[in-house]
Amino acid sequence: MNFGAYLTGSFGQSQQLYEKRNETKRGRGSVDGAVKQVADDTAKIIQLQQEADLDFIIDPMFKFFYLFQPLVEQVVGVKEGLQENWYNNNVFYRCEIHGPIDVQSSFTEKYLNLDELPKNATAMAILPSPYTLLRRSTVIGYHTLEEAITNLAEILHAEAQQLASKGIGRIQYDEPEIVVRQSLGSLREEDLQLLQRGIEICGKIDGATTSLQTYFGDAGPIIPFLKNLPVDCIGIDGTETSIDDILKHNYVGKELALGLLDARNTSLENPVELAEQLRIIAERTNPKKLYLTPNAGTEYRGFTHGLNKLHLLKQVRLILNE
Amino acid sequence: MNKLFPTYEVGSLPKLNARVKATRGQAVTDTDILEVKNVAQKYAVEADKILDIVQLQRREQRKITAQEESTLTDFNALLYLRLQEAVGLDHVYDGEARRAEMYRHVARKVDGFEDLPEMIRSRGPDSWRMSVCVAPPKLKEGCLDNLIIKEFDFAKQHAAKPIKIPIDDPYMIAVMSDNRYYLESLGSQYRNDPRRLRYEAKRAFTLALARQVIRPQVEAVVERGASWVQLDIPAATLDIEHIPIVIEGVNAVTQGIDNVKFSLHFCYPRRISAVEKKGYELLFPALLDLNQNIDHLSLELANADQYETDLAVFAKYKEQRTFEIGVGVTDITLEKQQQGRLETAEIVRDRILRAAKTLGDAALVYVAPDCGLRQLQLDRCLRMYEIIVEGAALARKG
Repeated sequence: MNFGAYLTGSFGQSQQLYEKRNETKRGRGSVDGAVKQVADDTAKIIQLQQEADLDFIIDPMFKFFYLFQPLVEQVVGVKEGLQENWYNNNVFYRCEIHGPIDVQSSFTEKYLNLDELPKNATAMAILPSPYTLLRRSTVIGYHTLEEAITNLAEILHAEAQQLASKGIGRIQYDEPEIVVRQSLGSLREEDLQLLQRGIEICGKIDGATTSLQTYFGDAGPIIPFLKNLPVDCIGIDGTETSIDDILKHNYVGKELALGLLDARNTSLENPVELAEQLRIIAERTNPKKLYLTPNAGTEYRGFTHGLNKLHLLKQVRLILNE
Repeated sequence: MNKLFPTYEVGSLPKLNARVKATRGQAVTDTDILEVKNVAQKYAVEADKILDIVQLQRREQRKITAQEESTLTDFNALLYLRLQEAVGLDHVYDGEARRAEMYRHVARKVDGFEDLPEMIRSRGPDSWRMSVCVAPPKLKEGCLDNLIIKEFDFAKQHAAKPIKIPIDDPYMIAVMSDNRYYLESLGSQYRNDPRRLRYEAKRAFTLALARQVIRPQVEAVVERGASWVQLDIPAATLDIEHIPIVIEGVNAVTQGIDNVKFSLHFCYPRRISAVEKKGYELLFPALLDLNQNIDHLSLELANADQYETDLAVFAKYKEQRTFEIGVGVTDITLEKQQQGRLETAEIVRDRILRAAKTLGDAALVYVAPDCGLRQLQLDRCLRMYEIIVEGAALARKG
C-alpha cells in the first residue's frame, strides 16, 4: 500500500511572530520586524516539512489571518463583510460578494510565498471550496445560487490553474461547510447539488491534482457523494467521522486523506496505533493512496503544537514504510 | 427595584494608562497623568497619592513596588465605582479593575492548567494565552482572596449603589482552553464515536470547572453579601450542538443558591448559522431548563440593531419562562470607535422602547451597553454611560 502524509492548513504562530506583530500593533515595533519573522518562520516550516518527507509541502500561511482574506483584499467585487466565528473557532470575516464577478486570477500569489516552495510538483496550495465560499459569504447580484456558485467556481478554477502554471502540483479546496451542515442535520439536496456544480467546474486542473478537504464535521453519511466528485482526493476529518463509517466504503481510484491527528487538541496521538489503524483502513478500503493528515490547520494551538503534530506525521510515515 | 428601565454596566472598563505603564515599568506620559487628574477631579476621588507614585516611578524609571501597585489598583477600582455612580447607573461595579482580562484572571489560578508556550490568534493579530487542562481543574489553594474576595469586599465597602458582580461562566473557560485531560481520559470509552467523545469531554470539563472553579467564587461572594451575580458566557452559541452543556454548567454553578439574583450575559450569538434557527433562538428551548433562580439575561443587541428579530424568541416563550432582559443599547465594538460613531440618547430611547414593545412588558427591560468596555478609550466609555442614562430617562417619558 502506498501511504503518505501532509499538513492541511495554516500553521500556529510562533511567540516571536506574536510579539513582533503586537509591537507593531501598539506602534512600538517596525513592520519590517514582523515581515522578517514571517519569512523566517515560513522558511523553517517549509524546511521541516521537507525533512519529514511529506508528500505535499504547503506555505504555512503566516501572511494572512483567514482563508478568505486574499479574495477580500485582491478580487474586484469582493469586500470584507461581517465578523463571525469560523465554525466553532476564532473569528473571520465573511466575504461580501457583489456579483457577477469578472473571472480573475493571481489573487493568492502575494500571500503564498511561491518562490519558497519546492519546484518538483509537491507544492500544495489551499483555496476555499466554492460551496463553503458561497455559504460563508453574503452574496448579492445573482439570480440563483447556481449562478453564484458557477461564478465563484470559475474564479477559483482560474486561480488554481494560475497556481499550477507557477509550479503548484496539488490544489486543496477547503470544504468544512458541507460536513458541518451534515452534522447539524441541516443539509439539503440543494447543498449537495451546489457543491457538485462547483467542483465540476474547478475540480480538474491542468498540471495539478486536486483534493476536497472536509473538516469540522462528520462526513460519514455523505462519503458516497464525496467519492463521486471530480477530484483526485477526498479529505475526511477523523476527529468527527467514525472509523466504522470510513471503513464501510471502497475508495478504489480515489486518494483518501484522513485527518486522524487532532489539530485542535494538544493531546498527542500514539504513532504505533495510528500506523496500525491506517494499515487496516488501507487494506479494507483500497484507496489509490492513503494519507495521514491533521484534521485541520494547527493554528488553533500554536507553533510548538504544530511542530509536535508535524513530528507525528513523520513518525507514522516511518513506521508505515518500515 | 420599581424604577422603569434600570441601568447597569456589563463588566470591564479600560485600565488607566498611567497605572498600566507604571506597573509595567514603562514611561508614563504627561497625557497619562492628565487623564488621571481630570477623571479623579471630575468624580471627586482623591488622587494626590496616586500622582506621587506615578511621578516617582517616572523620575526613577523603575517598576513600581507591590504596595504601590496595590494603591494604584484600589484607586482605579474606586474611581470606576464613583464614575458609574456619578453618571447615574443604577447597578455598579469596579470595571474589573483588578482583573488582567476575563480568561487569564481565572485560568492562572487553576490547578490542572498549564500555559501553551505561544499566544493563540483570536482575530487578525489579536491573540490570547491559552491554558491546557492536564488534570482535573480546581482552584489553587488560597487563591480566592485575590481572585474575587478582595475586589468584592472593596466594591461592597465603597459602593453607594447596589452592585452586580460579573464572574466567568465555566463553559466560557472550557471553550477558551485546551481540553487535553478529558479527551484523553474519555478516549477509550468513546473510541469509535469521536463526536460523542468531544461532547462528553467538553461536558465533563465544563462541569468540573463549574463545581471546582466557578461555584466556589459564587459561594464566597454570596456568603459576603452579594445580592446580584452575573455569569459571563460570550461563547454560548459557538458550538450549536453543545448548548445543553452551557445550561448544565450554569445550573451546576447556581444550584441551591437562592438568596441572590443571578443573571447571564450573552453576546454575539450566531446571527448567520448553518441551521434554521439563528441568534438567540439557538439558545431555546435549552434556556427553559435553567435553574429557576436565574431570571435575568443581559444581551448584546445594539451591534446588530435588530431588536424585534433578536427578542422575538423571548416573547414567544414568555408563557413558559419569563426573563428580565438587560437590553444592550450601545455598540461597544472597536470598529465603531474607529469610525467615531456613538449612539445618541434618542437612539438609545428608541431601542429601549422597541425592546419593551417586542417583549410586551416594559417592566422586564433593563438597560446596558452590549458588553464590557475594556477595549475602548475611557472618555468614550464615560460618554456611552451618560447616553445610556439619558436614553433611559427619555424612554421613561415614553
